Amino acid sequence: METIVISEKKAFLKAFLPALIVVALAFAMVVIAYGIEPVAPGVHDVFHDFRHVIGMPCH
Amino acid sequence: MNTSVERFILAAIPGGIIWGWLSMVVNSVSGAFAFEGSFVHDLTTFATGGAIFGVLVAGFLSLMGDKLPFKSRLLRAVFVSTSLWILLRIGGALLSHMDNERYHIVTSQTIQGFFMAIILGCILYPLWKKESVDQAM
Repeated sequence: METIVISEKKAFLKAFLPALIVVALAFAMVVIAYGIEPVAPGVHDVFHDFRHVIGMPCH
Repeated sequence: MNTSVERFILAAIPGGIIWGWLSMVVNSVSGAFAFEGSFVHDLTTFATGGAIFGVLVAGFLSLMGDKLPFKSRLLRAVFVSTSLWILLRIGGALLSHMDNERYHIVTSQTIQGFFMAIILGCILYPLWKKESVDQAM
């Protein structure tokens, strides 16, 4: 029974990990890397210094 | 019971936080960018941003790390982190092409960012190596 539960969890992870990563990447791009204000108001200022330090273009 | 992949991705959070704070130190030494936010604000945002990027790179490493054509695992980790950075940088370059005022490129910051991407790969490498050993057992 324990083996089946572990296998189901691994299958879930295998199926949804790529989707979760894509969502995380989209979030990182909009909020952190580019600070796209029209999409998420206020994010430009929040991660402004971080964006400059990691070499992403900004103001 | 957590799988080793879950443990790796969770371990990438503190790894990313450390990387974020290390970015602050490196930037203070290099002077590539003059901090505009307060110290506490930057401490928080760099930790958050670093954690998110750490999780992202860890996720990509879990998905495709074993499929890369490099013998060295360190090289694979650095390849994934720098590839993600280059991908984001290309996106930034496209945005800069469309709106140069809003997305202004600074060469010194770009070079610093590239080296920080290499460092992120180096930080996540031992965590990924441990996950691979756990998976093999």
